[in-house]
Amino acid sequence: MNLFKLRIIYKKMKIIAITGGKGGTGKSTVATALAYELSKKNKILLVDADVDCPNDHLLLNIKRKQLKTVFQRIPKFDLDKCSKCAKCGSVCKTKAIISLKDLEPIFIPEQCNGCGSCQIICPENAINWNNKKIGTIYTGKKDNLNLLSGELKSNEPISEFIVNHLNEEIEKQKQKYDYIIIDTAAGAHCPVISAFEKAEQIIAVTEPTPLGSHDLEVILSVLKKIKKKGSIIVNRFDIGDLNKVKEVSLKFNSKIILKIPYSKKIEDSYSKGEPIILPNIILVVNK
Amino acid sequence: MKSIVILSGKGGVGKSSITASLAVAFSKDKKIVCADCDVDASNLSLLFSLPTDKYEEWKPLSTNQIAIVNKKKCISCGKCIDACYFKALKFKENIPKVNEFGCEGCGACELICPVNAITLQNIDNAYIGYAKTNYNFSIASAQLLPGNSGSGKIVSEVRKKANKISKNAEYLIIDSAAGIGCPVIASITGNDYAIIVTEPTPSGFSDMKKALEIVNHFKIKTGLIINKFDLNKKYTNKIKLFAKKNNLKIIKKISFDKTFVKAMVNMVPIIDFDKTYEPIFEEIKQRIITNINKLNS
Repeated sequence: MNLFKLRIIYKKMKIIAITGGKGGTGKSTVATALAYELSKKNKILLVDADVDCPNDHLLLNIKRKQLKTVFQRIPKFDLDKCSKCAKCGSVCKTKAIISLKDLEPIFIPEQCNGCGSCQIICPENAINWNNKKIGTIYTGKKDNLNLLSGELKSNEPISEFIVNHLNEEIEKQKQKYDYIIIDTAAGAHCPVISAFEKAEQIIAVTEPTPLGSHDLEVILSVLKKIKKKGSIIVNRFDIGDLNKVKEVSLKFNSKIILKIPYSKKIEDSYSKGEPIILPNIILVVNK
Repeated sequence: MKSIVILSGKGGVGKSSITASLAVAFSKDKKIVCADCDVDASNLSLLFSLPTDKYEEWKPLSTNQIAIVNKKKCISCGKCIDACYFKALKFKENIPKVNEFGCEGCGACELICPVNAITLQNIDNAYIGYAKTNYNFSIASAQLLPGNSGSGKIVSEVRKKANKISKNAEYLIIDSAAGIGCPVIASITGNDYAIIVTEPTPSGFSDMKKALEIVNHFKIKTGLIINKFDLNKKYTNKIKLFAKKNNLKIIKKISFDKTFVKAMVNMVPIIDFDKTYEPIFEEIKQRIITNINKLNS
């Protein structure tokens, strides 16, 4: 492929993240509706990065297929070599290793983040690596729309590891698509920030309630900190007081690009698992 | 003190609204304290018209460390970069640079550095404090600073703070975050009772099952509240069937009612905004107390 053609592809391809801070404001509804609408004329990859509770496949009625299992390294103790010095436990910040002098170390796999400090400190080279399963990456398809969906295994704490694997897949596959839509989790901590890594445009979906605008402010502060710009979609804009959202929008210089009215029909479609059609949703791209 | 945690997996199903009114119901004849453990987006106190400037206390908290590289000592060997499992270190002009969003503060780089050029430093990653409501109880809460990590540890600090300000409280009521990751796990460990709030939608049902897996893992006795149950009777029946099969008690079904939004917009718990909700939450409270007492007998 010549350079010129490559450049055209690169220019056209666009990665958009949908976020919001507060849960239940309509992130997944907007992400799936936007992705599905765009897929009628473009090649679309929808990435469900709400890995704690991925739901996009439910909203689009897609049966997912497993693409790969995500593993995280954990220490394997060679107890024949272990001198019971208890150093491994003393450097473990996540308290996954409990070690007392003259006793064999006790290991709690769920607590381990794989940092490797225990292996570095062990004077006997008694620590090697093992793996634990922490999640799964799935793929799926609806008409022209491809879905990539990450899912954290229950009782595993580190959601962002799964999001990082999704980011790797995005990097691998991005040349194949016109648009990539990333649906993030609620909140504003590590897995949400990781989901912004590849995004060129970020849209925060909010609702006009004190809680909605509070959490919108939180998420826009995060964007400011990581030096990315965000725009706003107000969902159910007619249920509350829009002024507070407008204030936040002004404060962070983030435009309100779409207002979606409350609709019992959307609520019904959502509760039945039917695809949702949002009028004008396609206009938010490039805005 | 008995502790009750409220979780849901899915966000926006009514966790905080229900927590607020339940707390008011409990406070009528019990001494209680609340902990807002949704530290990413802390807003339980907003339902009581208490923004942070009305808090009794609100101060910086440090639960995280970050690696700092001493440029003068560094010999550019790159061992720290190889040792960092979180890929938070990268060479910039031959000196390793720390990506503050990626650094977990694990200390592997500090341990491997042959010339002691890396040290871990405490960083303020949240604000923590408490507010007094008009209902004779307080809410401990914290807010993660933008772009910081460590929500799990901050949650533990909020629970400690709640204990500190509890003053012989009989019940601690905890509002957890959405999801099932590290902050949620930190919110639910060691509680006497858990309430899962769900709604009759495909997402609500799927996320409720995930929430249940976690509370079961920690062997916490659990009850279910189906919010907006009349929104989709078919899914409500699915949830009921699932609950029966899994021996999960349904504490209450609550109707879909736009008054919840009105109460939220007015920053008043619905139990106080619309008096018809008083007996509803009184009933929920009595059922929870009965269930907790059953555990102990």
